[in-house]
Amino acid sequence: MNRTRWIFLAIVVLALVIAGASLIWRATTATPSDMGLSVERPDAVTVRVIVALPVEPWVRNAATKFNGGNHTVDGVPIQVEIVAMDGLTALGRWDRNDFGALPADTRPEDLTDEQRKELEDFPTAWIPDSRYLVELANASYKERLGRDVFLTDGEYRARPIAISLFAWGIYESRANVLEQSLSEISWRTIHDAAVAKGGWPELGGDASWGYFKLVVPNPNKNAGGLAAMIAAAGEYYGRTTISVEDITDPGFQAWLNELMGAVTDFSSASAYTAEDFALFGYSVGDGGQLLESDLLQNMQGILTRWEDPLVIYYPEYVTWFDFPFTVWVGPETSALEKNAALEFQRFLLSQDEQKEALAYGLRPANPNVAVTDSPDSLFVKWQDRGVQPIVPRTTAMRSPDRDVLLALLRWFDLNVAR
Amino acid sequence: MSTSRRSKPRFKIRNRRFPGGRRGIILLVGASLFFLCLCSVITVAVGRRVADTLFPDNTPSSEATSATPSWAPDSAELTIAVSPVMATTMEQLAEQFNAQKLETADGHVMKVTLLTLAPEKIVEQSVTGPSFQAISPDSSLWLTQIDQRWADLQGSAGEGIPLRRVGESIRYAVSPIVIAAWESTARELGWPDQPIGWQDIQRKATQDPSFKWNHPSTSHAAGLLATLAEFYAGAGITRNLTADLATAPHVLEYVRAVEATVSFYGEGEDVIIQRLTEEGRNYLDAFVAQEQTVIAWNQSNSGEKLVAIYPAEGTLWTDHPLALLELGVGEELAVTDNQRLTFRAFAAHLTSDTVQRQLLAAGYRPADLAIELESPGSPFAGTSLVDWRQPQTTLQLPSGAVVDVVQNVWWYTKRPTNVYLVVDTSGSMAGAKLERTRTALRSFIEQIRGDKDRVGLVEFGSGVKHFEPLRTVNQEGRDQLLQLVDRMNADGDTALLDAVGEAYNDLVLVNDQQAINAIVVMTDGQENDSSLDLSDLRRMFQRPNGVPVVVFTIAFGDDADEELLQELARIGNGQFRRASETDIEELYKIISTYF
Repeated sequence: MNRTRWIFLAIVVLALVIAGASLIWRATTATPSDMGLSVERPDAVTVRVIVALPVEPWVRNAATKFNGGNHTVDGVPIQVEIVAMDGLTALGRWDRNDFGALPADTRPEDLTDEQRKELEDFPTAWIPDSRYLVELANASYKERLGRDVFLTDGEYRARPIAISLFAWGIYESRANVLEQSLSEISWRTIHDAAVAKGGWPELGGDASWGYFKLVVPNPNKNAGGLAAMIAAAGEYYGRTTISVEDITDPGFQAWLNELMGAVTDFSSASAYTAEDFALFGYSVGDGGQLLESDLLQNMQGILTRWEDPLVIYYPEYVTWFDFPFTVWVGPETSALEKNAALEFQRFLLSQDEQKEALAYGLRPANPNVAVTDSPDSLFVKWQDRGVQPIVPRTTAMRSPDRDVLLALLRWFDLNVAR
Repeated sequence: MSTSRRSKPRFKIRNRRFPGGRRGIILLVGASLFFLCLCSVITVAVGRRVADTLFPDNTPSSEATSATPSWAPDSAELTIAVSPVMATTMEQLAEQFNAQKLETADGHVMKVTLLTLAPEKIVEQSVTGPSFQAISPDSSLWLTQIDQRWADLQGSAGEGIPLRRVGESIRYAVSPIVIAAWESTARELGWPDQPIGWQDIQRKATQDPSFKWNHPSTSHAAGLLATLAEFYAGAGITRNLTADLATAPHVLEYVRAVEATVSFYGEGEDVIIQRLTEEGRNYLDAFVAQEQTVIAWNQSNSGEKLVAIYPAEGTLWTDHPLALLELGVGEELAVTDNQRLTFRAFAAHLTSDTVQRQLLAAGYRPADLAIELESPGSPFAGTSLVDWRQPQTTLQLPSGAVVDVVQNVWWYTKRPTNVYLVVDTSGSMAGAKLERTRTALRSFIEQIRGDKDRVGLVEFGSGVKHFEPLRTVNQEGRDQLLQLVDRMNADGDTALLDAVGEAYNDLVLVNDQQAINAIVVMTDGQENDSSLDLSDLRRMFQRPNGVPVVVFTIAFGDDADEELLQELARIGNGQFRRASETDIEELYKIISTYF
C-alpha cells in the first residue's frame, strides 16, 4: 500500500474508533431521560384519575376492586389512584396549568430528569361533573397550546360513566306549607318564599322556623352551585340557553339577588351540600336544588337526625351532570397510561359496576342497566320520598359557555360572597 | 576525636539533600499545610461544640432562624393548628392515632402533632407561611376567611375561578352554639315553656344589674356569633346584614348598650368552664358556648345543671372542619406527599365509627349520619337540658367582608376598658427578661384598637418607680405608652403590693362605672419592699366603692411568689397565670382579649 492508502485507512480506523467510543460512552452514562417515554417497559402502570366529588365514593370503591383484580394493559399490571376534586376547582387548576402541562414547543424527550419527575403526578384522566367543564378546559388549552387536550371523539373521547340531575329537596312540613300558600315547587315559588318579609308565619308556617332558608352550594367551591344558578336563570327567562346579556340584565340580577339573600351560610355550604342538609337539618336550610344522587345518599342521615323527612321534587328546567371519563391526550402521559385509563373506564361501565352505582343514587350510563336493577338501588329505597326512576319533565338546560360561567361567578363574588 | 565524630554527622544532616529532592520538599510542605488546616478545622469544631454545651444561650438569633417553618421533603409528620375548644379532645384522638404507628409506602411513620391557636390566629398564620400544614378551627367560617385573605394577598380576588389556600377538608363533629344558663336562670327566663332569644338575654342584662353573662371575644366562633346576634337585633333583622347597616349609628348604639352589660370577655368557653369549676355557680349566670360544653359540664359536675338555650332568632354551628392547607407558593415549603397521606389517614381515623362514637359520648353531634343522637347511652337521650331537634333556625352568616366589619366595629362598640399594667422592673428583671417584657407590653398596647380603652403603667422596684396615669390608647397615647415601655430600667427590690394598691386607688378615683376596670400585674420575684400587705389589699377591694376591679396576675419565671399572686387574683376576682420568656408575649395578648 502506498502512503495515501495508509492515510486513508488510518482516517477510517480513527473514525470507527471515535464512533465506537462515543457509543460505549453513551451506553454507560445514559440516564432514563435520554431514552424517551415509551422505550422502557415498566413493572406497573399507574392511572391517576381526578374525580368529581358526587361520584368519588363510587369510583374509589370501584378502583379498590379494580386494583385487586389483576387488570393489565399490554401485560403490565394497572394501579388506579383516585384524587377527589370538585369539577370547578379542577377546572381552575387546568386553567392555571397547576398540573404542569408542557409548553407547545417542548418534547418529552428533551426534558431533564427533574422535569420528568414533576410529570410523574400528572393526571391520566379526569371525571368532572359535567361535559361542559371539559369543553371549558379544552378552550383554555386551545388558547395556550393551539389544540384540545381532552378529545371529544375517537378512541379517547369522553364517555359519561353515570348521570344525575338537579332536583328539589325540601323538608316535608315546609313543602306542604309552600304548596298550600304559594304554588308547586319551582324557582318562582322559592323566590316568593325568599322575599316574604314576615318569614314563615307570613307564609302560613311555624314562627320557630324563622325566615325561609334556601340551600345553594357555593359556586366558588362547587360546580353544583353554578348549575343551580343557571337552572334558576333558565326558569326566569323560560328558555334553555343563557347568554352573558341575560346574566348582566339588571332585572334578573335583582331577582337573583333576592333569591340568594335567602341562603344562610355560604361558608359551610361547601362541597357536600346535601350532607350539610343532613348535618344541620332545617336549621340551615328549608330546601334547595341539589344533585339527586347527593340527596339520595343523605336521605337516611336526614331521617336519622331530624324529625322532619325530606321530599324530592323535579323541576321544569333540568340540569344534568353526566360525569364524563376524559383521558388526557397530551404527551405528558404515555400511551400505556392512556390505554390503562381506558381499561378502568371500561370497568366502570361494566354492568356490575353500573349496578353498584345505583347504591350511590347515580343513574347508570350503561343503557343495559335500569335504575331498579339492584336490590340496593336508592331509587327503589326512596320512592316514597319522591324519587322517580323516570324523570317526568326533560327540558334540559344547555351547557353554559365560558363567558356566561365567568359572568355568573363575577356577579356572585361581587354581590353575594363579598 | 569523639567531638569530631559527633560534629560531623550534625553537619551532614544540616547539609544533606532531602530524599526526593525538590519534589519531596514541596510534598512535605503541602502535607504540613494540610495537617495544619485539619487541626484548625478540628479545633474550631470542637471549640464550638464545647461553647454550645457550656453556654447554650449565647446565640440570641437562633430562635429567629428556627422560627422559619421547615420539614423534610419526605416528612410524614403533620402539624395541625387546632382551636382551644377542641384541643383536649383532639389531643386524645391524636394520641390514639400516633399509637397505631401507621406507615407510609416508603416506610415513614405517620405522626400528628397539635398546635393550639385561637381561630383568628389560625387565619392570620395560614396565609403567612405557617409552621403547620393542616388546621382544625371551630368553624368553617374561618376557612372562608383564609381563602378570602389569600385571594386578596395574591391579587386574584374577583377574577374568575378563585385561588384557594384551603385544600381538601372534612368535618368530624358539629355542635350548635347556644346560650348556656343555669337551670334556675333558664327558668326565670321562661325555659322550657317559651322560646328565648338573644334579645331576652340582652333585655335581662340591661334591666338586672346583678345578671352576669359573658361571651368570648370575636376571635372565636361563639364570640363572633354572639356579637353578630347583637348587630342583627340592633338592625331589627335576621338576615341580609350589610356593612352599611352594621355601621349605622342606631345599630352601633344598641350594640354598645348590650356590650356594656357583659361582665368581661375572654379567650373562649374552655376558660369559662375552668373558672366555673374554680369559683362555682355565682361566677356567671349565663354564657355563650357550644352545646357540647353544656353536656360536658353536666356529665362531670354534680349540683345545679346547665341548660342549652337555642336562641329563637337563630344561631350558628361550630362544625369543626379538618382541612389541609395548599402550601408551597414561592419560597414556601409545600406539603409533602407523606404529610398528605398522614392527613388522609388521620381524617379517616376521626371519621371512623369508634372515634365518632367517642365524640358523641363527649357531647358532640358526630359527622357520621348513621349514628342516632337519641340512641341509648347517648348524652342527648332522656334529657331536656339539651335537645337534638334544635336549633330550628340559624342566623344568616354574612359574607366575609361584612364579618370583617363586624369584628372591627366591635372594637368601637364593646365595653371600654381602663387597665393598669403593673410591671416589675426590679434588679432581677435585668437582661433578657426585661427585653421580653418590653416586647410583650408593646404587643399588648398595639393590640388595642378603637379609641375607647385607656391604659396606665405602674413600674415598681424599690417602691413605685414610675406611675403613668390612664391615657386613651389612640395613636398619640399609644406612641407615648410605647416610649415609656422602652425607657423601663431594671433595678431595686420588689414593692409589688404597693404598686397594685396605687393602681387600684387610681381606678377607684376615676370611678368609671361604664368601663371594665382591671389591673394586670407581673412579677418575677418575691414581694419584699411594700408598706401594704395582702390583708390591706383585701380590705381595699372589699370596700363598697362601686367600681369592681379585676386583677390578672402573672408569675414570670420560676422564682415568682405564686402563692401571693394566686391570692391576689382571688381578691381581684381575676386570674393567675404562669409565664416564661418564650410565652409571656402570647400571654399578654391573651389577657388583652378579656377587655
